[in-house]
Formats: sequence, structure tokens, C-alpha cells
Amino acid sequence: MTVTCRFILFRVAPAAALAVLVGPAGAHKDPVTPQQLSTYQQVFMEQVRKGDLLFHGDAATEKEMAVVLSNTGMACAMCHPMTADTHPATFPKYQVQMAKFATLRDMINWCIEKPNQGEKIADDSEAMKALEAYIYWSQSGTVLNPGKF
Amino acid sequence: MSELDKVRREMAAVLQQPGVRPDPSLRITRRTFVHKSCLVGAATVAETFAWWPLINTLDIAHAAEAPFKFAWISDTHLYPRSLNTRFVEKTMRAAKEVQAMSPPADFLIFGGDLAQLGKVEELELGVEILKEVNIRKVYIPGEHDWYLDMGKKWGELFGQPHWTFDHKGVRFVGLDTVSRGPDYWTAKKMSPEERMGHMATLDGTVAGPWAGVGRDQLDWLQKTLANWDRNRPVIIFSHNPLYEYYPPWNFWVRDWREVNEVLKPYTKVTNIHGHVHQVLYNEIGTMRSIGMLATSWPWPYAPEGVPKLTKPMIRVDPGDHFDGVGWEKIDVSAQDKVDVEYVMWRKQVLAQSPDDYAKSIPEVLRPRVADNMWPY
Ligand SMILES: [Fe+2]
Ligand SMILES: [Fe+2]
Repeated sequence: MTVTCRFILFRVAPAAALAVLVGPAGAHKDPVTPQQLSTYQQVFMEQVRKGDLLFHGDAATEKEMAVVLSNTGMACAMCHPMTADTHPATFPKYQVQMAKFATLRDMINWCIEKPNQGEKIADDSEAMKALEAYIYWSQSGTVLNPGKF
Repeated sequence: MSELDKVRREMAAVLQQPGVRPDPSLRITRRTFVHKSCLVGAATVAETFAWWPLINTLDIAHAAEAPFKFAWISDTHLYPRSLNTRFVEKTMRAAKEVQAMSPPADFLIFGGDLAQLGKVEELELGVEILKEVNIRKVYIPGEHDWYLDMGKKWGELFGQPHWTFDHKGVRFVGLDTVSRGPDYWTAKKMSPEERMGHMATLDGTVAGPWAGVGRDQLDWLQKTLANWDRNRPVIIFSHNPLYEYYPPWNFWVRDWREVNEVLKPYTKVTNIHGHVHQVLYNEIGTMRSIGMLATSWPWPYAPEGVPKLTKPMIRVDPGDHFDGVGWEKIDVSAQDKVDVEYVMWRKQVLAQSPDDYAKSIPEVLRPRVADNMWPY
């Protein structure tokens, strides 16, 4: 299963990691262990890694996730190096280009469809979650400013 | 203090000492987009975003023997025509407009990044489109032109990547700031395409600090300027800015100290550069530096290091691919002035209020990770 592959990348024994993720019933009532913390972090960073690759137009990752984010050769990072000027902290807000109240996911899809001329992805898709993870991670420490133009 | 901060403070200490500026005869005029108040102290928000003219005028004493104009186009980033027609359209538009200049420009300088991935097909497409321009053309390379075949095709098409000529009382120099990158490919056994891919990613972490002039070229520059009167104008073209703006995106040359050493004796140096795809102005020691627009797409301003003297360009509409891009006319007049005009394909080029400037919403950014992780 996919969870197993993720942990091979991070050189963690797959069986142990799986055990931590699934855990015993009612594990949330126990104090969190360092091993659990590192596993949760690894799950997150794997999404960041995938989002980073998608954001930078990595063809293999797009193929693997069955998405077409661009048909112009343009990737997100070509206008947004290090996610600059994506302003995730300003969403949700009235977005002028769409002339509607929009979320970051709406904006991601707008960029895919308009400048990139790619194919819109589902709001709850793996690719959307990975892109969102990368953008937010990249802007860790930016102050929330929802609604800002 | 971060490593970057330390370097930046060092540059400010070395090159931006109080009172050190380009020759005072390079007088700031009302038409200049440098904000006067920035030169003498901190500008207020209202001053920074006050009405700003489109034309940048620099007065240069003993400059032109006769008035002339030249044009700059760069950063067309052409893909094969079959993949991306938008970049082709915009390059064609810029070429047509340069050709239509009246009176005509004396020459066109192409400032690098003609191709996107350095392919023969892309470089040849660029040559074909620029055939529209019938005046003298000179070229310097960008990193996107170079790292597929290490400049082989570029050299066949355009010859030496650094050169000099005198024109009507101004010494012009073209520099190659791209070809001397550190070898990041051999140890990792990269294919030429992989090498190019890392180089073509502005925020990549693999190609490293590739922008530089190099000792050999600095020696050549020193020799080239040796017989030139120190009070006469020099205009230097380079793909990257010749100072330190934002190293993670190679918005610099890593040997800016040595460049400054060579240029220091000359009081009227203007550097015109590409690569940043944005309106940019700075004064470094006795040198003025002006950043040019791309025709392909605008880069955002870096999260830190934007020169205080820069009047920022306006936030662009990402839905209009003709927005935020363009080319430049440079006019050396009989009154010994050098004007740079940003020809952006919209009415307002510069931010009119803080809300027009993307950097007025602070962002804390971190570099990407995936290009440094397995299997890369
Ligand atoms: Fe460029
Ligand atoms: Fe470049």
C-alpha cells in the first residue's frame, strides 16, 4: 500500500511506522510518543515533497497522480518561486480574477486552468492536498491575513 | 542573523558607504524614477507610492557625440512553437515594435534567456523571430541558453559571449555571467537534460551559486577599460545584476566584490541587466544598475533585498499573459542624457499605492526540498 512506500523513502522500517500510524484503539488518550510525532511529521513532509514536485512541474509525479496541471510548459513555480506571491495567508477572500469569494483551492485551480491551460483537479484530490501542503509549508511563519487584496 | 543577512550587510558596508554614489553629474531629474527621498533618507509610504514617471532619465556628462537610441529585449524563454505559442507571440510583438521605432534604434541588445531549455530548436526559433529586427544585433547568454550543451549551439549562433565596442562616445561591454557555474552534474551523473532542468528552476537548490563573472573575464574587463577615460560613460550589459540582491535565485553575481574592484575607478558606469524579469533600480558604489522586464513572464520581487531605490512595478493580472512583461528603449540624447523607457503592454507600469505592490503583504518563504531528496 502507499503508506509503505512513503516510509521507504524516509528510511523508516515500514512495519514499525505502520504500527505507529494505526496504533492501538484509543491511542489518542495516551501521551504522544516521540516516535509518533516523527511519524506524523513524516506523513506531512511526504505530502510537501509531492506538492513541491507538482508545483515545479515534475512530469513523473503528475503522471503518477494522474493529473495534467499544465499544457503550456509553465509550472506554478515559474511565476511563484518558493511560492512567492501565492499569498495563501490571504485566503479566503474576494478574488478579482474569478469575481467571486474564493479559497486557496479555487485559486490553485484557476491558475491550473487559465495561465497553465491544464486540467482542473478535484477539491479533495490527493494532488490538491499535496499542493496545499507544499504552499502552506513553504510559507510557514507568514502571518494570517484573510481577506487581504 | 542568517547567512544571507551577513552577506548583505557586508555588501552594504563595502559598497554603499555614505556619500559614495555615481558621479554627481549623473543628476537626478524629475523624470528619473529613482526616488530622491530614498537617497537622502527613508521615504514615507506616501512618497514611495507617489506619482512616478515612466521614463528614467540619467544625465551623463560628455556622453553622446550624437544622439542615439538602442533597444533591449531579453528573457523570451522560447519553447518549441508547438508547445507554447504565447511566448512566441510576445517575442514577435517586441521584435515588431523595436523594428518600428522611429527614429530607428542604432542597435538591439538581446540580454539572454532566448530559449527555455537550451534546445537547438528553441534557439533557432529565437534567431528566426529576431530576423524581423533589421538593425545591428548583439547578444549575451542567459543560463537557460547554456546548460543543455554548455553553450555549444549558442556560440555557433552568436559567437563570443563577452565583447566590447565604442559607439558615439560611450564604451559598451557585454559580459557573460552564466557560463562559470560550479559543476553540480558530474558527480551526480546527470544527463544534459537533467542538468538543464535544475538550472532552469529559479528556486532550485541544486545548481547553486552559478552566476559569476570569473577571474579571467574580470582581467579581460580591466584590460578593456584600461584605455578609457575614467570620467566617460560606460554601459555594461549582463544577464545577472552585478551586485547582491537575492542569491537563492541568483539575483546577483557571486564575485560582486571583484567586479566592484575593477569598476571602482570609473565614475559613470551604468549596468543594464536581465534575469530578474522585473523593474529594478539600484546604485552600488559609483555604478547605477537597472533591471529589465522579460517578454515571457514576470518574476515576483524577492522576499528580501529589494533595493530601497527601486520603485516597484505594479502587481500584474495573471489572467493576461501580455501583462507585466515587455521590452525597453534606451535613448542617449544630444543633451547627454540616458533615458530608459520600460515598454510594458499596459498603461501603468509602476505601483501607485501599497495595495498595488505584492510585497506589501509580507510573506515568509523557505526554499524547496524535493530537488534535494531521493531520487534526485
Ligand atoms: Fe529569464
Ligand atoms: Fe536567467
